[in-house]
Amino acid sequence: MEVIRLENVEKTYSDNGVPVHALRGIDLRITQGEFTVIAGPSGSGKTTLLNIMGALDRASKGKVFLEKESIGEKSRDEISAFRLEKLGFVFQAYNLIPVLTAMENVEFTMMLLGIDEKQRRDRAREVLRELDIEELANKRPNEMSGGQQQRVAVARAIVNNPSIILADEPTANLDSATGANLLDLMEKMNRDHNLTFIFSSHDRQVIDRARRLIILKDGLIAEDRNGSAEA
Amino acid sequence: MLHTDAPGNTRQNGRWSSIVLIVKMLLTVAWRNLLRNRRRSVIVFISIVVGITAVMFNDGLSIGMISQMLENSIGSHVSHIQIHAKGFNDNRVIQNNMATPSEVENVLRDTPGIAHWSPRVVSFGLLSSALNSSGGVIVGVDPEREQDVTTIRRSIVEGSYLTGAPREVVIARRLADKLQVGLGDKVVGMASALSGDVGSDLFRVTGIFETVSSEFDKAYMFTSIDNARSMLELEDRVLEYAVIVRDINEVEDIAASLRSKLGDEYEVLTYIDLLPILVSQVDMYQSMMYVVYLIIALAMIFGIINTMLMSVFERIQEFGVLMAIGMRVRRIFLMVLLEAGMLGVLGTAVGLLLGSGLLLLFSHIGIDFSIFSEGLTSFGVGAVIYPRLTPDTILNVLIIIPLTTVLGAVYPAVRAMRLQPVAAIRYV
Ligand SMILES: Nc1ncnc2c1ncn2[C@@H]1O[C@H](COP(=O)(O)OP(=O)(O)O)[C@@H](O)[C@H]1O
Ligand SMILES: [Mg+2]
Repeated sequence: MEVIRLENVEKTYSDNGVPVHALRGIDLRITQGEFTVIAGPSGSGKTTLLNIMGALDRASKGKVFLEKESIGEKSRDEISAFRLEKLGFVFQAYNLIPVLTAMENVEFTMMLLGIDEKQRRDRAREVLRELDIEELANKRPNEMSGGQQQRVAVARAIVNNPSIILADEPTANLDSATGANLLDLMEKMNRDHNLTFIFSSHDRQVIDRARRLIILKDGLIAEDRNGSAEA
Repeated sequence: MLHTDAPGNTRQNGRWSSIVLIVKMLLTVAWRNLLRNRRRSVIVFISIVVGITAVMFNDGLSIGMISQMLENSIGSHVSHIQIHAKGFNDNRVIQNNMATPSEVENVLRDTPGIAHWSPRVVSFGLLSSALNSSGGVIVGVDPEREQDVTTIRRSIVEGSYLTGAPREVVIARRLADKLQVGLGDKVVGMASALSGDVGSDLFRVTGIFETVSSEFDKAYMFTSIDNARSMLELEDRVLEYAVIVRDINEVEDIAASLRSKLGDEYEVLTYIDLLPILVSQVDMYQSMMYVVYLIIALAMIFGIINTMLMSVFERIQEFGVLMAIGMRVRRIFLMVLLEAGMLGVLGTAVGLLLGSGLLLLFSHIGIDFSIFSEGLTSFGVGAVIYPRLTPDTILNVLIIIPLTTVLGAVYPAVRAMRLQPVAAIRYV
């Protein structure tokens, strides 16, 4: 089942009046359950592409479909609702609300959906348990390591049962053992729940796990193939 | 296992209950953000508390001062309601007298809500002692009745009040000083009598009184109504009835009732009619108070704008993440408002308590303005002002201050709302 489709997407930034062509025409289709890595050198447009797929940013040209609906026609609120229900994000850093504990950070997303306190608590605990980070429940972000914070971010990303998780360089700030650990976790989520994962990364160990590898170069897809993990 | 308990199925449908949930969570976030920036929060908090205490004091002092002015005038001679023959107030001559006082007195006895009343003969005349003379007001009163209506008896500082015996006068301090008379000294009063001739009489000072109003203290002299009547050839006529009502809030109703019972031959005036300048001063003070509120509110708004902008700019990434996870911008707006609103409500609560406490304390002990006392007595206030805490002040603070803090947060909240999630997240 198709979850994301991009048709001839271009993105041009303006850098003090100078146009920067971050994406020059991307055609891409992502289906449910993929475990896809978008790789490429720094500045090749990975983050831009991911942001457009997550409706955090608008394409300058072309069309973006999320679950077959064009986001170009949606209002800001509709896009917010879509993100809340269908997408999960894991960023490179600063994922969590600093004044909330891990548990509360996870609950916050559910709260936005209007889920009552008891159900929220049960569900948050369930997810923390599944990710094996129950002991972090009452810790605030500044009391956690980077890897722990990223795990909590994953917990938050999956708690509303989204269909797609977008992760922009999730391991960039982690040592390789911690990074591997986080990737294990995401692979497990992908396997157990058929959750779609799309990463951007130039980290070798992330690329090695890709089942589909898309390589960007100067804002264009240079390669799109089954990744080494599937080979 | 993870998907069996899909939140989509258990979502609350009630719009209100979900708003309550959100507000609850946002309040938690707001509170912790305030704690996170403790120093900044405390500074804003203190400025709110100090601002409130200042406006409350300003209110309390102004109201206290103006009320004292009004009450002193009412208490020393004006009373709540005066009844005269038609035209007396504009033309204070004794020809404008009430020839059938019993008619008025029957009405006064029959009208509910009246606490006390007292008949008077009021005349402007010349007062002379052996050493000096001065213009003045000679008031003939029923000593028994007058003591329930005015504060003259309580204001006696030397000698004693009128007993009703002939030729007694009690005289205001400054007038006595001007005439250079003391207890037992003679004073001659001269005034135009009913016939048009000059009536005069000799009085002896039995008491000296002192009020906080220098204007009053320069002019007034009280004697028994019979003395005054005989001097002015008034027989049993009366020039003025002074009335005190039980509840000052009913003064207009009671005056209206008296007016309709007494008819066209009389004029019934309340202290509001009799003291138009003072009453308009009350209004003036009230508008001045709003100017002070405005100034304080403006200062507060800029403080809040500054603080909340800092707070928003420090948390650009946090807002970006919130937007990325699907928080609607309206809720982000609300979040910023709640944070400022919380400070406003806390500051208001503490400021109100502190301000009310101080005002209540000083409303008992008073504040001594002796250094400005000469100026104040010419306003009829007295050297000690007792500030007052009124429900109006509390209500004003309760509404204006929290509203102000929230208003100050609107612009920062709009800035937070306008952040683009990508830009916010990229912002490192
Ligand atoms: N907000 C922006 N304004 C101007 N140029 C930008 C902006 N964001 C990204 N770019 C430029 O767009 C290109 C792609 O950036 P990005 O998507 O971040 O690449 P990557 O994530 O692969 O490093 C780069 O040249 C970058 O400098
Ligand atoms: Mg990037």
